Amino acid sequence: MVKLKINGRDIAAASGSTVLEAAQAHGIRIPNLCASKALSPYGGCRLCLVEVKGKRGYLPACCTVVEEGLEVTTDTPRLRALRRQTLELILSEHPHACLICSEKKDCEEYKSTIRKVGEVTGCVLCSKNGRCDLQDVVTELNVERVRWPASYRDFDVHREDPFFDRNYNLCILCARCVRVCNEVRGAAAISVVYRGPRAAIGTSLDQPLVDSGCQFCGACLDVCPTGSLSERGLKGEGLPDESRETICPLCSLGCGLEVDLKKGRIVCSRPKGDAPVNGGQACVKGRFVVRDTVHAPQRILRPMVRRDGRLIELGWDEALDFVAQKLKEGIDQESAMIISSQLALEDHYIAQKFAHEVLRSDPWVDFTRFSCPALFRAELQKQKISLPLNFEADSLSSAGTIVVAAADIVLSHPILWLEVVKAVRRGARLLIWNNAETALERRATFSLRTNPGSDLAVLVYLCRELLEQRPKDWWSAIPAAEELKTSLEKPGQAILTSSVGLEKADLLSAVRLLQEAGPAVFLIGPGMVQGPDAPRLVQMLWNLALLCEARVIPLAAENNERGVIELWPSGPSNGAFETRVIDGLAKGRYRTLYLAGNLPKLGQGKAPDFLIVQGGYHGAAWESANVLLPAVTWAETDGTFVNAEGRIQRFRSLIDPLGESRPDWQIFCRLAEKMGCGGFSFQSAAEIAEEMSQALPSLHEVSAHHLKKGRPAFVREDLRSSARFIPLADEERGLENHEMTPAPAQLEDVPDYYRGLDLVQEVKGLRKLRERDKARNQNREKQEK
Amino acid sequence: MKRLTDPSQLAAWKTSLGEERQARQKTIVVSNGTCGQASGSLAIIEAFGREIEKRALQASVGLEITGCHGFCEREPNIVIYPEGIFYGPLVPDDIPKIVDQTILKNKVIGALVYKDPKTGRAFGLQKEIPFYRKQMRLLTGDNLRIDATRIEDYILADGYQALTKALFDMTADEVIHEIDAAGLRGRGGAGFPTGKKWQFCRNETADRRYIVCNADEGNPGTYMDRSILVANPHSVIEGMIIGAYAIGAAEGYIYVRMEAPHAVKQVTIARDLARKHGLLGKSILGSEFHFDLHIVEGAGAYICGEETSLMTSIEGYRAVSRQRPPFPAQAGLWGKPTNINNVETWANVPLIVRQGAEWYSQIGTAKSKGTKVFSLVGKIRNGGQVEVPMGIRLREIIYDIGGGIRDGKKFKAVQTGGPGGGFLPAEFLDLPIDYDSLVQAGSTMGSGGMIVLDETTCMVDLARHYMHFTQEESCGKCVPCRVGTKQIHDILVRITRGEGEEEDLEQIEELAEAVKEASLCGLGQSAPNPVLSSLRHFRGEYLEHIKHKRCPARACRELVSSSQQEARKRKHG
Repeated sequence: MVKLKINGRDIAAASGSTVLEAAQAHGIRIPNLCASKALSPYGGCRLCLVEVKGKRGYLPACCTVVEEGLEVTTDTPRLRALRRQTLELILSEHPHACLICSEKKDCEEYKSTIRKVGEVTGCVLCSKNGRCDLQDVVTELNVERVRWPASYRDFDVHREDPFFDRNYNLCILCARCVRVCNEVRGAAAISVVYRGPRAAIGTSLDQPLVDSGCQFCGACLDVCPTGSLSERGLKGEGLPDESRETICPLCSLGCGLEVDLKKGRIVCSRPKGDAPVNGGQACVKGRFVVRDTVHAPQRILRPMVRRDGRLIELGWDEALDFVAQKLKEGIDQESAMIISSQLALEDHYIAQKFAHEVLRSDPWVDFTRFSCPALFRAELQKQKISLPLNFEADSLSSAGTIVVAAADIVLSHPILWLEVVKAVRRGARLLIWNNAETALERRATFSLRTNPGSDLAVLVYLCRELLEQRPKDWWSAIPAAEELKTSLEKPGQAILTSSVGLEKADLLSAVRLLQEAGPAVFLIGPGMVQGPDAPRLVQMLWNLALLCEARVIPLAAENNERGVIELWPSGPSNGAFETRVIDGLAKGRYRTLYLAGNLPKLGQGKAPDFLIVQGGYHGAAWESANVLLPAVTWAETDGTFVNAEGRIQRFRSLIDPLGESRPDWQIFCRLAEKMGCGGFSFQSAAEIAEEMSQALPSLHEVSAHHLKKGRPAFVREDLRSSARFIPLADEERGLENHEMTPAPAQLEDVPDYYRGLDLVQEVKGLRKLRERDKARNQNREKQEK
Repeated sequence: MKRLTDPSQLAAWKTSLGEERQARQKTIVVSNGTCGQASGSLAIIEAFGREIEKRALQASVGLEITGCHGFCEREPNIVIYPEGIFYGPLVPDDIPKIVDQTILKNKVIGALVYKDPKTGRAFGLQKEIPFYRKQMRLLTGDNLRIDATRIEDYILADGYQALTKALFDMTADEVIHEIDAAGLRGRGGAGFPTGKKWQFCRNETADRRYIVCNADEGNPGTYMDRSILVANPHSVIEGMIIGAYAIGAAEGYIYVRMEAPHAVKQVTIARDLARKHGLLGKSILGSEFHFDLHIVEGAGAYICGEETSLMTSIEGYRAVSRQRPPFPAQAGLWGKPTNINNVETWANVPLIVRQGAEWYSQIGTAKSKGTKVFSLVGKIRNGGQVEVPMGIRLREIIYDIGGGIRDGKKFKAVQTGGPGGGFLPAEFLDLPIDYDSLVQAGSTMGSGGMIVLDETTCMVDLARHYMHFTQEESCGKCVPCRVGTKQIHDILVRITRGEGEEEDLEQIEELAEAVKEASLCGLGQSAPNPVLSSLRHFRGEYLEHIKHKRCPARACRELVSSSQQEARKRKHG
C-alpha cells in the first residue's frame, strides 16, 4: 500500500494503481471519458488532469501512478477551466444540441423539444440516451454553452455489419473500443486510423467488421462512452423498465449476464461487470443472441394433442390427462425417454426420478455429442485414477504454458480464450495443436498441425522424448514410470511416418516448449479423444501431463454438462443413444417415446406409436408428435446450472412464462401426480434443489443454504491424488488408425443450439459470422492444398 | 581492409591512408548532397570524370564526392585542394576550362569564384567567403573531405579515434562524466543535458537497454540532420557506439525519415561498412563490448519525430504519443530503458570524447555549450546549412553569414524552432542565441530551423499556415491537440479572409493556453506557440486584418483582391 494525499485527504492505495483509481476507490470523483476498468491507461481525453505538488504542469490522473507522499489536487479553478475548455472541444465534434439545451429538464419529462432536433444534432433518438458517459460528464461539469462552431465530421454510418451500427460522427476517439478489442479480447479487429482531424476508428482497409476478424462479442459497445456504437435491436427502445441478472445457457461457461427488460420482454443482454466467470465480458451469443433465443417465433406456447392427424390446442389439464392415460396404457411396454442436457439441474433430477419411478425406464441424456470430461473421468477411473475436473478460469491467466488441443476456443469457449490472451500478454507460452488453422494461432508461440488420425502417434512420440530428455531421477519417482518407458519403446510404437504431417524438428520444438513448461495447463477439446482409440488417447494425454507437471482440463461443450455428469453417476450415454433408440424403435421395443430433448434422426426407422414432445420450440419433432407440451426456457424459471469449471450457478426467472409454457420439472411433477405417483409434490425449484443436495453428495452445495453464503460454490470432488503413469496398452491396431476412414476431424462445430433451436438458422447475424469462419477455413484449406 | 580486431590496426590504417592522399597533386571535391544533386551536381561529377579520363589524370588528380558543404545557395559547387579554391555555381560546360586552367596550370578562374552580391568583392578561397568565415564548423567542417560511402575518408578525419579512446581508456561512467562536463545539451529542441539523460538511463535496472537516434527531421524548412547523415553518417554512428557503451546498451536504432531517401541510403552504407570493419557487432575493435545498429525508416508522419511516438513506430504500431512519465529512460522501447538523442547530439559525442570536455565547454555561452547547426532559409540571400558557436548574435547569422535579406527587402522577423517555435522580430537581432535566451524571447531553439521573413510575409497567414500544419500532423489521440489546433486554425482562416472579430484574439489566446497546458505530448504543448508569438509581437497586424480588413503584407489573397476590387470600383465608380 502507498500513502498519498488527494485534496488534503490521506489515502492509502494499492501500489501500481493510478491516481484516478485511488480517487475513485475513496469516492473522490475526477471526470474522465477515456479511462475504463481493465484497460491500459490512455490519457487521451484530458479531462482527468490534476495538479501534483512538485510536478510541472498538469498530469492526467488515469496515467499517473501513485507514489508515496504524492500530494494531488483534483479541483482548482484552473483545472475546472481546462476541463470545460476540453469538454467544449469534444462537444464541438459531437452533436450537442440536446446536451446543452436550456429546455433539457422539461424535455426529459414532456419531450417538449423533441420536434426541434433531428437525429444528427440531438440525444433524443440516440440509443445511448440516458446511459451515456458523455451526458454524465456534461452534467457534472455543468457545461451550458459551446463556444466553438460545431464541426460535424460527416462520416458515413456503417450499417453493413450484423448486430450493431457504427456512427463515428458521435465518436470522441477515446479508443476504449480499440483497447478492449486488442488488450482484452485479443482480436484487434479495429484501430485508430488516419491522424489529425481525420483520425477515426476503423478497420484495416475500411472493410466491414465481419471481414476484419471481429467476433461480435460486443465488448466495444459496452465500453463506448457515447452512442457511436449502437445495437440495432435497441433502436427506439429507450431506457429499459428494469434489469435483472441471469446465467447464459448458450455454452459451457455460464457467463453472468445482465438482461434489460421492457414490458415483459427481453430487449438486450449484457455481460455482468462483476460476474465471477466472465467479469464484464461476453461473446456474440451472450451479447446478441439471448433475446432471440427466448423470443423466437418458433416457441411452442400451448399444449397440443394430435386428433385425427391434426394438432389441436388443449388446456393443460386435458393434455396431461391424455398423456397420463396413454402412458398408463402402455406402462407394461418399455418406453424410452430422452432428456436435453441443456435443462437445469432441477429439471434433470425430476426427469430422472420420473423416468425411474413412473416410466420405470432408463432415460438418455441428449448430449448432441459425447462429453469430453465424462469420458476422461470414466477412462481414468478404470485405471483407479481420479482426475479433478474443477478449475477456475481466471487461474489460467497465471499459467506459464497453455496447450490448447482440438479446440477452437475463440469460438467454443470465448471466455476461456480471454484468460489465455491475458496469460500470453503476461508472457505465457501458447501451444496450439489442431488439424486445421484457427484464429488462436495469431497469438500462439508454436502451432502443431497434425493430420487427422495421427494424434496417438504424436502423443507417444512426445512422451518418449520427454522421458528421454527430462532427468531420470525426476520422473522415476512416479509409479509405473519404467513400465511406461518400456511400453513406449516397443518396436513399432515409435515410428513417426510422414502421415503425421509434421517434421521431426516441429515435434522437437514442441518438446522443448513442454519441457520448460512451468505451471502448465492442457485444455482438451472433445475432438482429441474420439474414435475407438479414445481410451489410449486419454491415457497418453494423462501421461504427457504428468511428464510436464500440467493440469489437464477436458472441456465441457454445453452448459450444465458438468452438472449432468454429476447427476448421472453411472455416466451419461456418450452419443450412442441415437442408434440404441432407433434400434429399439425398429425392433418394436419402445412403443412410447418421451422427448424432453431433441428428436433423434429416425431415418428409415419406425416411428413410435406414441410420441410426446416436451420442448420449447417447434422443429422436426413437431411433425410426428402426438402431444406437444410447451416448456419454458431458462429465462422464465428458476434453476441451477453447473458450468465447465464445476461452479454451481443459481439463476432466477427473468420474465413470466410465455404463453402457457411451464417449467419442465413442473410438467413432470404434474404428470406424475396425475398418474398417481407420490413424491412429486414440489412447489418450487428450490425445494427440488434441497432434496437433490441431500441425495447427491457431489451436488451438496446446490442447496440454497450454501449459495446464500455468497462464496463461490463448486461441485464436490473426490480428490485422492493418484500420480501414476499408465503404460501404453498393446492393441492390434497401430498408432495411426488410418483404416478408420475418414479419420475424425479434431475440430467440431460450435454448439450453437439451445434445446433443439438452431441459433445459426434463427439469428441472421450469427449465421453471417459462422459462415464467414467456415468460408475462411475452406479457403485456407484450398490454399494449403 | 578486413575486420579490425585491435585499436592499433586502426591507427596503422589511418597512417597508410594519409600517405595515399599525400600522393595526389590535386583533389576536386564535388558537393553532392541532396541540394547539390537537385541543382545538377551529378552532371558536374560526370563531366569531371570524363575530363580526367580523357587527359589520363587518374593518378595525380583525385575526384571526391561528398555531402553538402552548407552553401546551398551556390550549388553545384566544388572545392579544389590543396589550395581550397571554391567555384560555384557551375554548369558542365565549365569543367574542361577548370581542368585546363586550375588543375593543370594552377590558375584561378575569376569568372567562377564567389563574388559578394553587395560589394562585388571576389573570394577565391572557400575559407575566405563570408558565408564560411563567421561559422565554426566543428561537426560539418569535415564534410569537405568525406565521402560517406568510403569509411576511409572518415578514418582519415580522425574518425573512430574517440571510440578507441572511450572503449580502451575510459570507463562508462567516465564517458558519461565527460559528456556531462562538456555541457552538451540535446539538439532536438528541448535542450536537456545529454549527460544527465544518459545517466538516468544507465541508472535503471533492466535486462536490456536501447539507444535511439531520432533522425525523423520533420520541421518545415529544416535539413540539418539530413545533411549530417548524408555527409558524415559515421560521426553519428560513432557517437551512438560510444553512447551505447556508456549507457550499457547492446542494440540501437536509427529512425530515419523515409522522405529523406538519400540519408537512408548513406547511413545504411555507413552502418554496413562499420559492421564489415568490426566497428559494429560483436567485440568492437577487439574489446568485450558488443553493439549493433538497426535502421528503421520513418512512417511518414510528423508525429513520428516525437520520442514516444517514434518508439511505438519502431515497435511496429501506428505512431501515437503516450503520456510521460514514464520517460523513455524508465520505460521506452518494448518497455525497456531507452535513451533517445537527436542526430546532431550524437554527432557531437565523438568530438567531445576526442577533444575533451574542457576544450568543448569553452565554446558557447555559460549554459549552452558547443556549436549549433541551423538551416538558414526563407527570404535570405545566402541560404544554407550553417554551424555557429552558441551565443552568436542573430544579426551575425542573418547579415554576415546569410548576406542579409534578398531583393533589398526589409527584415521582418525570423522564425525559429519549427511549428512549435516562435518569431523573433527586429528588436531581437542582437540577441545572443542560446537555448535559454530564445525561450526568454518567446521562441525556442528547436532543432535548428531558421526561417527569415521579410515585409512581404503576413504574420497572420504564416500563423495560420503553422496551425494548419500542426492540426494536420497531430496524431489525434488527445482532445486539446486534435480539436483545439483545428479550432484555432479555423479562427485564423476567418481572420485572413477578413471575417475576424476582435473577440477572436482573446479566444485564440485562451484556447492556445489551454491547448498548451492540457495536451499530451510536445506537439500539442508547443503547437500554439507560433500563434501566441506572432500575437505578442505583431498584434497590430492581426488588428489590421480584423478592423480594416487589410493585409499589410498583401499576402492574404481574399483581402488583397477585395481591397483591389474596391480601389478599382472607386476609380471607375
